[in-house]
Amino acid sequence: MMKQFKQKLASPAYVGFMSSVITILAGLLFGFLLLLALNAPAALDGMGALLSNGISNLNSFAKVLYQAAPLMMCGLSVGFAFKTGLFNIGAPGQYTMGAFCAILLATQFQMPWWVCLLGSMVGGAVWGLFPGLFKALFNVNEVITSIMFNWIGVYLINLIFANLPMTLANYWGATNSDRTADLAKANPDAMIPRLGLDKLFGSTYMNISIFIAIILAIVMYVVLNKTTFGYELKACGLNKNASLYAGINANRNIVLSMVIAGALAGIGGGLYYLAGTGQYVLEKAILSRGFDGIPVALLANSNPVGTIFTALFISYLSVGGSAMQPNFSTETVNIIISVIIYLAAFSLLVRNLLGKAFKPKATKEDKQ
Amino acid sequence: MSEYVIEMLNITKEFPGIKANDNITLQLKKGEVHALLGENGAGKSTLMSVLFGLYQPESGIIKKDGVEVKIKNPNDANDLRIGMVHQHFKLVDVFSVLDNIVLGVEPGKFGFLQRKEARKKVMALSEQYGLQVDPDAMVEDISVGQQQRVEILKMLYRENDILIFDEPTAVLTPQEIDELMEIMRQFKKEGKSILFITHKMNEIMAVADRCTVLRKGRCIGTVNIADTNKEELSRMMVGRDVSFAVEKKPCQPGETVLEVRNMVVPSKLHDNNAVKGVSFDVRRGEIVCIAGIEGNGQTEFVYGLSGLEKITEGSIHLCGKDISHSSVRERSIDGMSHIPEDRHKHGLVLDYTLAENMILQSYWKEPFQSHGFLNKNAMNEYADRLIEQYDVRSGQGRDTIVRAMSGGNQQKAVIAREIDKNPELLIAVQPTRGLDVGAIEYIHKQLVAERDKGKAVLLVSLELDEVMNLSDRILVMYEGEIVGELDPKQTTVQELGLYMSGAKRKEA
Amino acid sequence: MKKLIAFVMAATMALSLVACGGNTNSTNSTGSSAGSTSGNSAASGNTDVGFVTDVGNIDDHSFNQYSFEGVTNFATANNLKANYFRPADDTDADRLDAIEQAINDGAKVVVMAGYLFAPCLAEAQQKYPDVQFLALDVSAADLPDTASNTALITYQEEQAGYLAGYAAVQDGYRKLGFLGGVAVSAVVRYGYGFVQGAEAAAQELGVDVEMNYWYSGSFEANDEIKAKMDSWYASGTEVVFACGGAIYSSAISAAEAAGSNAKIIGVDVDQSNDGEMVITSATKSLAHSVELALTDCMNNGWKWSETYAGKETKLGAAQDCVALPMESSKFTTFTQEKYDELYAGLRDGSIVVDNTSDPAVHPETTRVTVDWQE
Repeated sequence: MMKQFKQKLASPAYVGFMSSVITILAGLLFGFLLLLALNAPAALDGMGALLSNGISNLNSFAKVLYQAAPLMMCGLSVGFAFKTGLFNIGAPGQYTMGAFCAILLATQFQMPWWVCLLGSMVGGAVWGLFPGLFKALFNVNEVITSIMFNWIGVYLINLIFANLPMTLANYWGATNSDRTADLAKANPDAMIPRLGLDKLFGSTYMNISIFIAIILAIVMYVVLNKTTFGYELKACGLNKNASLYAGINANRNIVLSMVIAGALAGIGGGLYYLAGTGQYVLEKAILSRGFDGIPVALLANSNPVGTIFTALFISYLSVGGSAMQPNFSTETVNIIISVIIYLAAFSLLVRNLLGKAFKPKATKEDKQ
Repeated sequence: MSEYVIEMLNITKEFPGIKANDNITLQLKKGEVHALLGENGAGKSTLMSVLFGLYQPESGIIKKDGVEVKIKNPNDANDLRIGMVHQHFKLVDVFSVLDNIVLGVEPGKFGFLQRKEARKKVMALSEQYGLQVDPDAMVEDISVGQQQRVEILKMLYRENDILIFDEPTAVLTPQEIDELMEIMRQFKKEGKSILFITHKMNEIMAVADRCTVLRKGRCIGTVNIADTNKEELSRMMVGRDVSFAVEKKPCQPGETVLEVRNMVVPSKLHDNNAVKGVSFDVRRGEIVCIAGIEGNGQTEFVYGLSGLEKITEGSIHLCGKDISHSSVRERSIDGMSHIPEDRHKHGLVLDYTLAENMILQSYWKEPFQSHGFLNKNAMNEYADRLIEQYDVRSGQGRDTIVRAMSGGNQQKAVIAREIDKNPELLIAVQPTRGLDVGAIEYIHKQLVAERDKGKAVLLVSLELDEVMNLSDRILVMYEGEIVGELDPKQTTVQELGLYMSGAKRKEA
Repeated sequence: MKKLIAFVMAATMALSLVACGGNTNSTNSTGSSAGSTSGNSAASGNTDVGFVTDVGNIDDHSFNQYSFEGVTNFATANNLKANYFRPADDTDADRLDAIEQAINDGAKVVVMAGYLFAPCLAEAQQKYPDVQFLALDVSAADLPDTASNTALITYQEEQAGYLAGYAAVQDGYRKLGFLGGVAVSAVVRYGYGFVQGAEAAAQELGVDVEMNYWYSGSFEANDEIKAKMDSWYASGTEVVFACGGAIYSSAISAAEAAGSNAKIIGVDVDQSNDGEMVITSATKSLAHSVELALTDCMNNGWKWSETYAGKETKLGAAQDCVALPMESSKFTTFTQEKYDELYAGLRDGSIVVDNTSDPAVHPETTRVTVDWQE
């Protein structure tokens, strides 16, 4: 009986789950200590807001879902590339490119939403293609190229938008030209369908983007785990030499992997800006959501299905965090959320420790 | 004073899920050569790492000269005058021999290195023990045998008198092995104590005084070499009788399967070609062996044959078909199987399951693939059959992550996969490297069976015993060329050694 | 290799977290709980008057900071609780969220500063009819309709610009520059007022004045703006009226590089603390106007009175809501008397400044030669 229980404890799924829970709790505890240090009387309320706001009302929950969708796509992008042994730090650039193509098609060309979304996929894919090609053909480290392509993308897009008046907000009746058009005014057909979900949730945030992201996550899971293509990609990632030995065209797979990763991040950009709630602001800064894909993927151990949950988790925290005002400034909230995410990344360490602790003592039979 | 310089008493060291050392006692007398014998995974290296301070045991104590000591790191070991020549040398390739020797204990004044002093001491040691090295040569430029001398000099320079040799002969030529044995005897004469890790019986019989045998983490016993023989030792090691000789019928070569003409393969390390115009044939029903010391172009030779590296000149024909510039997969389809030199690097995806590794070469074929999806049922059935047929043992059968398997079973998996492809030509590179006697025996039998089925077998090996026992023809490779063709029945290990070291070559 | 990857991942995570902080346009963070200002509000989180920032933070030395100053002054004087709320991101939806947070926290009045609030104000005023809204710099034209719980305050920027242009020419500057951000109406009015003021002074003195006039198209500081300013100063421009949020800092750095003869005129708030080169600032009395409006609201039982309810109130010299801060200005010949005389003229209507805000229609000038740059 005891032994059975112990074996159950030692199962990888349980250990994995427990380690995530423990690290998240540790992160929250640490976050709470920080809150105490910063503003002790409000700490408890702050923590309560952080933890409960995401489900306190439908509107907040809608926002959790709305933010999670693009995050999920960026996490999938980073995770997919990572599974194949590539570090796609170019997700921000691919995300931005996806956003660009979506907005361009929506405003300049007045296309319906699904064309815009496909366009965002193509935009991201193209931005993933270049680092992939450089890696495959010239063995240039994809980290370097994709960081550079992040910046090239951002500046290029600002330049193009600034020179295409139809894409900008002021063309459609707004006063400001420092951001792209409000889709509700420019092309309502380009907004991702809400299918009445907005009414159901009572929130303009709510549309079908979260479902698109979840479906894509599952598709990615199937591709990686059920297809020969996924088998090849993972083999390349786990052991490039062995995949060469097996006659797998590793270079082709590197390019494909980056293209797919780029497409995923690109769709993320499309989902966010086609929601119609955010307008692309022509800043000289890289959109951070692409970078946020890295912890999303890391926390999920690059597992596409895991990414669904980690993206929701991080989105939940950020929605909760905004409710901690006015007692805690947004900067403080960002620090606390970052610390929690950072500690959650220790789950691998905890997993090993737990694995050891729960492991039944090696008996004679086990050693064979 | 105690009879023993080092005593490791009741050492137990556990790793997650396994007891690598289970209550092992090892006592080293002053001035003896003490062999430590065991199969791979028996716990030899773990035990030595405990002694060298790399691991802390869960229980048990270590005594030096009868006094209990704590060895927390290699520096503590060094303070106790324990030195170690690792299996993989710990040298800085781009430093000179002298710098490597003094590294860590540099004689200095005001932070400046006193090279002159160091050189004097090194030269004196080198003279005294006959360990000739050029102190100013870069380590990357000298041979493996010389590198080992540098490692030995390192120990001497630190005035260690307990010397651990971890499988020191694996990389040496027969002549170099003889020299090493001689050096060990000299150390013994001076009262230094030697721990000698190996699984080669001949060497133990030649040089050791006593031998401790480990099996599966436990101490089987310590015997005096004078009172034992090879057979008994291997029985202790493996737990059953082992035959050393490979039984095989006389060779009956058929038509030519592999025809290589003037093959040139460039080197990744330097501008010269690694393989310089090699020509030979392999026929059905024979085992042709490429013998040679490590680093004489065998690796590139195999890469060129298998398609992992492009050949720049020459041609390769397999069963009459020109495959000189075919891809790896095309060659595989045409009937080439390849048991790679490094199963971790090439042969296996260690983080894949056993079943997934079994289809590494054939995942794209029916029935494993249908409409782009992997057919897991077909994969599992196939894996189960191979596991059964080739006796591949693992914790969770086909679902075992290969990384968790023992080296011997990993190799068996590779061999099962490659042989089951039913190839025309089987290239086996170092197929028994690092394996224990039992596994070696098995693999040798498989290779001979393939030959007897009428396959062409090309064996690339560094192990002289294997070369002599298994092959029907021996081609010796030296500096990227085939310098001799020998008949194993009419040659001796000594003659082979001369070819391998470049001292002798066939007339052009 | 695995360790290396792990390390890179960790490092990048750190980097990405830094990046998270960096994208929101924030100026320096105020550190800990900067939100609560009236001591005892911390734990309960009750708010009487809520303030929502647009994109910058509360310490932006500009619109947010000085409007909020008005809110806190008002709250302290009346023993009320004031808090600010910062939107999570630069989107209408996030701004609306922040407004709702303020309301959930008990705010009777929500104050917001900046034209960016127009879309979410349009929604909020319908959704929360019992809450009063005060928006600075949002004009009635920006909203489909202005509900009775909404008060809009705009300023006669043209008067402030006029003051600055007049003072600069009177003080002896002959080569002027106008650097605008995005050509929104407030910026255009500042600029045209500046041109008209310079023209008036030039005619009075009988001198010729040159002026470079350019909209950067952005409210963000960038190298393009600095390069443009460098070229202006290099070709003899003596003083630049830098009008548009953060682009000001590009002009400052160009002026620093150009040496002691390069001057700047600040905008919206008194920017004289930013350096010797700031000779004066064309200010709107943000804090003052917020206090006025909030007092009106409170005295009317937390409802806008006729004066403010449901309409756009234009504040200018008549209400003392535009000014040059004479005590901190660095004029040599332009005196307080001269300023008072001019100000009286604006106040009583004897000086009328044209308030056109169409960027395509330029004011006519005779003595000022304006180089309208693209």
